[in-house]
Amino acid sequence: MTAPGGIAITGLGSVSCFGPLEGLIRARQCPPRPLDWQDHAAAFAVAPFRPAAVVPSLKTRRLDRLSAWSLVAAALALRDAQIDLDQQDRSRCAVVLGSGFGCIETTEAFFRTVAEWGYGKADPILFPDSLDNSPASHVAKHFALTGPNIALSCRGVSGEAALIEAASLLRAGEADLAIVMAGDTLTRTLYQWMEAAGLLSPRPGGFTPGEGLAALVMEPAGPPDGRGATVYATFERGAMGSDPNATGSSWPRDGRAVARVIRRALAGADPSSIRWIVSCTNGSAALDGVEAAAVREVFGSSCGAPVLAPKPIIGEFDGSGVLRLVAALSGIPSGIRGLGMMLGASAGGGCAALLLNVP
Amino acid sequence: MKRVAVTGIGIVSPFGRGVEPLQAGLLECRSCLERSRVFEADLGFAPTVAQVREPLDVKPRPGFRLSRTDRLALVAAQDAAAEVAGRCQSFEESGVAIATTVGGLSEIQPAIATHPREYYRAKGFSTASSYPHGHAADVVGCHLGLRGPRLGVNVACASGAIAIALAARMILDGRAPVMLAGGSDALCQFTLGGFHSLQALDPEPCRPFDKNRNGLNLGEAAAMLVLEDLDRARARKARIWAVLLGWGMSNDAFHLTAPHEAGAGLAASMLRAAQMAGVAPSDIGYVNAHGTGTPSNDPAEANAYAAVFGRGRPVPVSSTKSYLGHSLAAAGAVEAVVTILSLKLGVLFPTLRLTDPIECPCVDWLMGAPRRQDFRLAMTASAGFGGGNATLLFERGDE
Repeated sequence: MTAPGGIAITGLGSVSCFGPLEGLIRARQCPPRPLDWQDHAAAFAVAPFRPAAVVPSLKTRRLDRLSAWSLVAAALALRDAQIDLDQQDRSRCAVVLGSGFGCIETTEAFFRTVAEWGYGKADPILFPDSLDNSPASHVAKHFALTGPNIALSCRGVSGEAALIEAASLLRAGEADLAIVMAGDTLTRTLYQWMEAAGLLSPRPGGFTPGEGLAALVMEPAGPPDGRGATVYATFERGAMGSDPNATGSSWPRDGRAVARVIRRALAGADPSSIRWIVSCTNGSAALDGVEAAAVREVFGSSCGAPVLAPKPIIGEFDGSGVLRLVAALSGIPSGIRGLGMMLGASAGGGCAALLLNVP
Repeated sequence: MKRVAVTGIGIVSPFGRGVEPLQAGLLECRSCLERSRVFEADLGFAPTVAQVREPLDVKPRPGFRLSRTDRLALVAAQDAAAEVAGRCQSFEESGVAIATTVGGLSEIQPAIATHPREYYRAKGFSTASSYPHGHAADVVGCHLGLRGPRLGVNVACASGAIAIALAARMILDGRAPVMLAGGSDALCQFTLGGFHSLQALDPEPCRPFDKNRNGLNLGEAAAMLVLEDLDRARARKARIWAVLLGWGMSNDAFHLTAPHEAGAGLAASMLRAAQMAGVAPSDIGYVNAHGTGTPSNDPAEANAYAAVFGRGRPVPVSSTKSYLGHSLAAAGAVEAVVTILSLKLGVLFPTLRLTDPIECPCVDWLMGAPRRQDFRLAMTASAGFGGGNATLLFERGDE
């Protein structure tokens, strides 16, 4: 678990099936969109938009969507947090990105040039942008942020890992402010892999792929008086663990590994103090069962905390963690405040639990 | 104050499997770089690379398709874990942090991007499952039966050092009792083609920091360190290879492929590492450089040393990429092992083929034969595409 002491979440920005948004997501639902490259298929995909129309003067012409979305979401989150970077020591501003597949669009584009011309004549423009840290690097360059710059890939808990590592950097004094991002893009290659794996659900409400990216601004001491930023929540603690009995493509085998990380995130706190839970359920019977078993084990079968399940409205993708948190903060019923627990579980066996507090 | 100890090392390098062949190769000043015809058919040329010749025999585990990067990582992790497993309480709660940039790309053909459905039908489905960069951490965690946190780290060529830094922070935070941390990358057509397209490859063995340098050579390797709390390690009378006193991370915020000309970002990461360790730059006895041999990296790096070490006693610096090539995300971890070996043996390994070094009065460029020298503190510096920089600062371990 990370050390105690709340880290304030003071800015939100997102690019999702709801479009690019600053702050909370006010819309309630957005139906899956038909996919251009696949007949009779739909996903919670991001509709095309012009980044410069959202963030004036943003140049994204040569970037893949993950990098472009990172720039847009980071700008929106900073604006939402009312941060003037000229008043910040930019060498102490960190950027932490979580993504399951990183710049897969550029990797595929590179492969297509290779398929046409051969490896000996591959495209030099595409290659460096195929690296998974490119989106975080573009954010650092655009905002001139010279602090720690980290890209993580932890499959389905990449976003949760980014939040935990950013909080750790801030608590350790390695940075004063962190832009935390997580996301993934859905490509034809990825969609057809899920199709071949038999993951896609024919029924509404079942496993539906998605894509998007969200960014948060995290500050250890919260916004100074007079800045006027909203503290959406504080990050209290986080824990990660894994189920060694999982396989490369299966979620944790049972609820015990998830229950273990929930207990570590609670760190002795009474489970009944949890007022709300953010689920990672995605409509697949296997994951839903694992998570339900873990919740029952820790919170008891009479757990009265409302469970928010954002994936049925944003879709399933590995780097969904931060967007899931933004969606959950947007959807918490009014009147419910206090401690909440966000859960994550991934193919490969990774799991995570984050303890948050909504003031 | 809590400190992080290195209590185990596993490495698979072009010198072979384990620390001993690495140590022997370095002491003999043997270069592993050679022309390889393995990739010639795909690339249209025979690059100079450093390949791992060791068979990577690992016991397969149902449900995992292993890429070459995964196999390298698993062999190194198994060897590192063998030093502590059974002697270390709650080892099964250990975590894994593995850096990789290649991941499963070595197993994937370009047709995946043009006709994915047909590609998966024609046996490509399972190989594609090793693509995600978090896969190697899952492979190692599941094969070793570990229940702790798993991180896949991808910050280009600074990844290996950053994975070690993040794992060390996990130890200090109490998030895991033991961490296996390092990096793994296999040679593959994708990266060779990519660096060739950037005209960054030297067709001959590279010459880091030489005025006549002409680019880098790629290599492959995996290196894993076992990290745990120093007091806990001493209490169980563990072999302490080194103590990780500090680390620093930064970004140039300058260019996607070129380093900041003044080396400002790399200098910042070195100063942060020294600050965390509570030491002055003048206390540093050796720096294992990033030293790729490219026209743009080496002068920027020299400028970083000038900024950090100033006009005092010249600091001994060498690039061991001249022996092992550039193993990308594994490089930071491999070079951490070389730095630890250098501290342990009291030997400074020279840069091979360095005869006419770039001018930098604050640097004692190590050339010629290995030099015996007793010193207590050493740094390893890493930098990568995207402007990421990381420095690890080690203290010699208990005798």
